[in-house]
Amino acid sequence: MKYVGIVGSNADLSYNRYLLNFIKKQYSDLFELDIVEIKDIPMFNQDNDQTNSQPIQELNQKILAADGVIIATPEHNHTIPASLKSVLEWLSFKIHPLENKPVMIVGASYYDQGSSRAQLHLRQILDAPGVNAIVMPGNEFLLGRVKEAFDENYNLKDQGTIDFLQSVLEKFNAFVSLVNRLETPEDKPLPEEDLYSSEPIASTIEGVDMAAEDWVEQAAEKVGAVEGDTYVKLNRGILTVDQINTFLASMPMELTFADENNQFLYYNYTKEAEDMLADRVPGQVGNPLVLCHPEAALKNVGWVVQQLRAGNQDVVRIHVPTHGPDKFVVHNYQAMHDEEGNYRGINEYILDFKPIVDWYLKQTGLKLEGDIDATSGASQAEEVEVDAGSGASVKS
Amino acid sequence: MKHLIGLVGTNSSQSTNRKLLQFIKANFQKEATVELMEIKDFPVFNKPADSVLPEIVQEAAEKIEKADGVIISTPEYDHAIPAALINALNWLSYDVYPFVDKPVMITGASYGTLGSSRAQAQLRQILDAPELKARIMPSSEFLLSHSLQAFDEDNRLKDSEQIEKLSGLFADFLVFVDLVNQLVQAHESNKKEAANFSWENI
Repeated sequence: MKYVGIVGSNADLSYNRYLLNFIKKQYSDLFELDIVEIKDIPMFNQDNDQTNSQPIQELNQKILAADGVIIATPEHNHTIPASLKSVLEWLSFKIHPLENKPVMIVGASYYDQGSSRAQLHLRQILDAPGVNAIVMPGNEFLLGRVKEAFDENYNLKDQGTIDFLQSVLEKFNAFVSLVNRLETPEDKPLPEEDLYSSEPIASTIEGVDMAAEDWVEQAAEKVGAVEGDTYVKLNRGILTVDQINTFLASMPMELTFADENNQFLYYNYTKEAEDMLADRVPGQVGNPLVLCHPEAALKNVGWVVQQLRAGNQDVVRIHVPTHGPDKFVVHNYQAMHDEEGNYRGINEYILDFKPIVDWYLKQTGLKLEGDIDATSGASQAEEVEVDAGSGASVKS
Repeated sequence: MKHLIGLVGTNSSQSTNRKLLQFIKANFQKEATVELMEIKDFPVFNKPADSVLPEIVQEAAEKIEKADGVIISTPEYDHAIPAALINALNWLSYDVYPFVDKPVMITGASYGTLGSSRAQAQLRQILDAPELKARIMPSSEFLLSHSLQAFDEDNRLKDSEQIEKLSGLFADFLVFVDLVNQLVQAHESNKKEAANFSWENI
């Protein structure tokens, strides 16, 4: 945590300054404290806008960059000093660095009161709409009888006071984290995914058991699906069903289509399960996703679909190193959308892209950091740093 | 005839609180004289160790000392009175104590709806501090809201109900001044307490 500590007095001698110095030194393991003085800041006057002057801008920048602010105020005439009020007026006139900033108030005074009334006024001031700071409730730290409170090295003498101050400052750390959570918009929990595909959509073929081994045959008969040399018009072109099959079978990856009802409708069936990177069997087609994953994986499957449906991510990738170092296998779950942008399901493509990488490295002379074969391939070409932006750097 | 100081609670050149005091001065000139006092040239208070007061502060303190009472009109900045007014009060209670037992009436004007209500409440607490210890007229409040629209071109309050209320408060304040002048029993000890309130010698 990084805090700014504002000395709320412009006086040459200020016990509030001693207090902040002590806090900085004593509790350095809790946070970093940058102590700032206000004596160079002019009296606020709306006729003479000095918002852009160096001392005000410096304070502004420091507060904006800080995680929180600690203000140490004396009490003059039952309220905060004019110089501190003036600073707060500048910081609520044209600029508002304290807006939503966690603030803690401490104060020291010569008498018993320990700036109690000034602290209450300061709370009201910090709560004003132009300032809009978020002041830690409760946890007052009032240091009375300051002349007796410090030793000759300006350390607080009383161990009970030191311990209490520690507990208050620890709470302020927690308060700052809390406020930061308040200020970041809460991730709305996404609706649960229905992996049982129980809500038919317009394209769902109803009246066929999704779990059936011959779902494809039954469903095709039901809707009169075309096949063979029947032409299909596409965006953009015309192919026969056979040509579409040939085309998809030639894709150097395992392709799977699940619709937005989480029903597994298609994969480019070219290999038997044992030869695939992620095994599929013909009888699985038509299944709801719940039936084609082990139970332990369902939570992750649901999460992936949630992200894609909500648009949090356009693609979710998982690298699967279990195939050994000779393969770079990545499972890609790509969200599909129609022309209106509606979510239309998942295009899952799984591939080993090492052949492409190897070919590319050979062509360019680039090499992978940590690649055990790198030296053999680099002999023909100068060693070239792989640009991080190219995405070709793989750490093993 | 009683003589009052009208303390303009801001250093701004554009101020409806100044206008309000000017209106009070003009409207009640048959009942009392009101002299406006500005605070914008007061230097920044920084507790000078030598306690030498700037001339402008010295003059202001003497005027308040001589006056029968003070009307302070305050705007509201950030739920409180302006730094410039705090600053003036800091000076006027530092080795001089013109406010001790001085009858004070508070008024306030604001551009919005609330009419400086929170600043006035804080000002009462401030004037109650031992170095100031003013005699604030109790149970009275004059809040002028929407003050930019409140005056006509002759700087008179437009709303006759507001004028009526202000007239009542002003008349009461003159009675209050007489009343406070009879509250002499505690005056000497109040004076002493204020003077004894030293930052360093405790």
